[in-house]
Amino acid sequence: MTDGTPAVFIVDDDQDIRTSLTRALGQRGFEVSAYASAQAFLDAYDGETAACLVLDYGMPGMNGLELQARLNANGSPLAVIFITGHGGVPESVQAMRAGAVDFLEKPFRQSTLVERIKAAQQIAADKQAALVRRRDLATRFGRLTAREEEIVERMVANPAEVSSKEIGNALGISPRTVDHHRARILEKLEIRSLVELVDLVSKLKAPAG
Amino acid sequence: MRTSLGALLVIGLAGLQFIAVLAVVFSSYVTSERALLDHARELLSDVGTNTIAHSRGFVAPAQSAAELSARLARDRVIASDVPELMEQLFFQQLQLAPQFAGVYYGSEEGDFVYVMRSKGSGPFRTKIIRHQGGVRTTELIWRDDKFNVIARWMDPDDVYEPRQRPWYIRAKDQMTTIWTDPYIFFSSQQPGITLASPVIDRQETGLEGVRGIVGVDIEISDISDFLANLRIGSTGRALIIHANGDVIAHPDKSLLKEQTADGTLHFVDIAHIDDPIARAAFAQLEADGQVPVEQETLSQFNYNGETYVSVVMPPMSDKLPWTIAAYAPESDFTAAIKQNRLTNIWIAGAVAVLTAIAGLALANYIHKPVRAFAVRSALVAQGELDPSDPLPATYEELEKANETLMQQIAARRETEMEYGSTFALSSRGMAQIDAQTGRFLRVNEKFSEITGYSATELSQMPFTLLGHPKDPPVLLFDNDQRGTPREVNHEMRCLRRDGEAFWALVNAILIFNQEGKPLHIVLTMDDITSAKQTEEQLAELSKDLSNLARDNTMGQVAAGLAHELNQPLTAIAQNADSALFAAQQMGGAGHGLHETLDEIAEQALRAGEIIRALRAFIRRDEGCRSDFDLSELVSQTQRLLSAESRAAGVSVIADLGALPAVHANRLQIAQVLVNLMRNAIEAVAEGDDLDRRVIVEAKVDGNEVHVCVSDTGPGVAEGITLFAEFETTKAAGMGLGLSICRSICLANGGRLWHQPREPHGAMFCFTLQVGGMEATQAA
Repeated sequence: MTDGTPAVFIVDDDQDIRTSLTRALGQRGFEVSAYASAQAFLDAYDGETAACLVLDYGMPGMNGLELQARLNANGSPLAVIFITGHGGVPESVQAMRAGAVDFLEKPFRQSTLVERIKAAQQIAADKQAALVRRRDLATRFGRLTAREEEIVERMVANPAEVSSKEIGNALGISPRTVDHHRARILEKLEIRSLVELVDLVSKLKAPAG
Repeated sequence: MRTSLGALLVIGLAGLQFIAVLAVVFSSYVTSERALLDHARELLSDVGTNTIAHSRGFVAPAQSAAELSARLARDRVIASDVPELMEQLFFQQLQLAPQFAGVYYGSEEGDFVYVMRSKGSGPFRTKIIRHQGGVRTTELIWRDDKFNVIARWMDPDDVYEPRQRPWYIRAKDQMTTIWTDPYIFFSSQQPGITLASPVIDRQETGLEGVRGIVGVDIEISDISDFLANLRIGSTGRALIIHANGDVIAHPDKSLLKEQTADGTLHFVDIAHIDDPIARAAFAQLEADGQVPVEQETLSQFNYNGETYVSVVMPPMSDKLPWTIAAYAPESDFTAAIKQNRLTNIWIAGAVAVLTAIAGLALANYIHKPVRAFAVRSALVAQGELDPSDPLPATYEELEKANETLMQQIAARRETEMEYGSTFALSSRGMAQIDAQTGRFLRVNEKFSEITGYSATELSQMPFTLLGHPKDPPVLLFDNDQRGTPREVNHEMRCLRRDGEAFWALVNAILIFNQEGKPLHIVLTMDDITSAKQTEEQLAELSKDLSNLARDNTMGQVAAGLAHELNQPLTAIAQNADSALFAAQQMGGAGHGLHETLDEIAEQALRAGEIIRALRAFIRRDEGCRSDFDLSELVSQTQRLLSAESRAAGVSVIADLGALPAVHANRLQIAQVLVNLMRNAIEAVAEGDDLDRRVIVEAKVDGNEVHVCVSDTGPGVAEGITLFAEFETTKAAGMGLGLSICRSICLANGGRLWHQPREPHGAMFCFTLQVGGMEATQAA
């Protein structure tokens, strides 16, 4: 994968579609990879590449919706554009609900598709950034000891009772020990205040995307 | 005909006895009558015989006396010239025979000696006529019983000439002893007869001459005395009639004589005798010329209202042509017997009445326990008396009969109770209907429940009233019962009491009695309304399904076409755009190329628009989703396909358990089920495995219900692309079935997939959304 080259994945069981789209998008400078089935895509995808996924809605075997659900579960940084020959309101609603960025009915103009792909790629990039951040946060939180995590939870859960004395009473330890832990936590999480901590935790717990 | 024991006993004991007594009385009555007549006849016959004997004994001595005298005179032992000797002989003869009135001898010379009984100076008188020297003298001598002379004198006035008398002339003419007809004696004026016997003088010349005639007068009034003394019954009489009709002897002697105009006396004719009964009895004898009759004749006659019996005897002898006739009133013989008979009848009647009463009493006594038994049996039969109550004293035979009867009654009651409880507790409506009137005789509770009418209301109405008024009336059995089936089954629409219509399955059986006459109808009724509704629902579903299948097929064809066409159209549009892009990149190309490529892409898009419009047109009312019971739908589908599964020998098993309501288009899901199940059945039918099953299962998984249709068929062969449109393994099929099913499932928010089944067979599963979700979300 070349940096700066926007990646586009195509999954469609129709050979002609794959060929024409690959050619068209390739002309426009996209790095295109086409797959004949959902399973073939899953086998090839690394799970981390931020990209736009042009996905056929109705396919034999695992269909587009199923593939999307699977990818969502993995937290993949992909922005899904559904293309369908079966287009209909119910299908599009379902797809959008499941997190698709767009829904195109076949046939469509290339310009439209390119437009949507560009928008989708921005989303995919954002998704990837968020994913990286979260990973970083997770790494940082991963440094905390069990006791420190306990104290963080307490502080986040009860922002009104965050004095070391109160926490110490609740956990059955001395306020001094609590003060010591708090210092360690801020150091490990690379933050300076309680406000930052609450923000971090909320980011970490927020759903992906 | 059945006879009453009581009547039999009365007839047997009283009636027969009465008849027996009557028969005996009657027979004795008849036989005694005969015996009486015989008795009377014998009695009269005896009288006749006695009279004949008496009469013969009366006249026979006269003959011997006369003939003796004649012989003496012939042998000249006595001669007229010595009249004293002759007188002595005659005197003795008179003394010996009291019936002799007189004995006399007249000679050819005119001499005459006559000794007779007298009522004058002495008991006997002698008259002697002599001729001496031409001088005729007549001397009369009266003597006593000792022959002493009492008086004697000469009678110069006597002119009697014996040779002129009829007896003399007849005896001399006939030269033998003759009897005169009875006549009234001149001297005594008593009836009598004269016997004259000639004294034959054999001369030397050989010529026979008459020397004189000896005569004897016999008074026959003694015979009348004898008759008067005879007892014939109490008032019967006997008389003697001469052959010429003269009555010569009669108990009443005064009736015999009759004086003629010249002053002479002669006998009265039987036709004129002053004895009316005798006249009535015997006058016709003379008229018929049958006096005397040839043989003893017994006859009967009525006189003055009284019945008489009479007998006429044959004549005594040739010389005495007399006949004895006797009569007597029958009552003389029969009165006592008749009286006796009457008494007997009275006694018999009394005996008959008494025995009849005794017979009635006895019959009553014998019949009483039987009657009591009959009354008791009737009470038991009506249920007013318990069979276990002690039996009153009765006969041994009846006791056994009672035991049997009570057992029968108990058994019958038990049967009736069983039948009754079967009838009453039956889960089906049951009724008993009069075969003639069609009215309800008896119904059970279930029947009332089904029809809504109470048993009392039903008992007032005929069966036909139950039928729906808009339907033709249902006749259970024809009025003409011949040849009709004895059992019928009807499916009929009925009206409940509240006016609600319901469908009933009616089974009616006609019961006949032993004579073959229709007795009643036993009717069983089931309410099949809900079954009928289910059937209708099923039919409706089937109809909707076929409509839907058609619509869906068209839709799917359109959808399939759209998809198939959209792919190349997409490729065309992309390629046109790509070419356009390339031309722009190269630049400078003719303007026409840009427009043309753009036009191509636009037209491809337009074609897509047309297809979309077509699809939208066919795809209507797909959004009609609601909550429904999947189990019910599966069971209806199962039934819908039951004919096919039976024909294929496949058993369809639905194993659904408790499921929540699902939210989908019920009709579309029905089509999915029909398609999957039909495919499964056909798959199993193709295989030859012994295990021929199609299983429908369902389970809840979160917000979804998983429905799986599996079969034990050969399974899906390798290389077959399932769910592809226009691809099929079936000889007749468009290959749209599974494709449509998948579309439907998707449209209803579910999925459809296939997985192989172990060890063989296929399994198709689809998901449905659990119902009630939208409501939850709305809240």
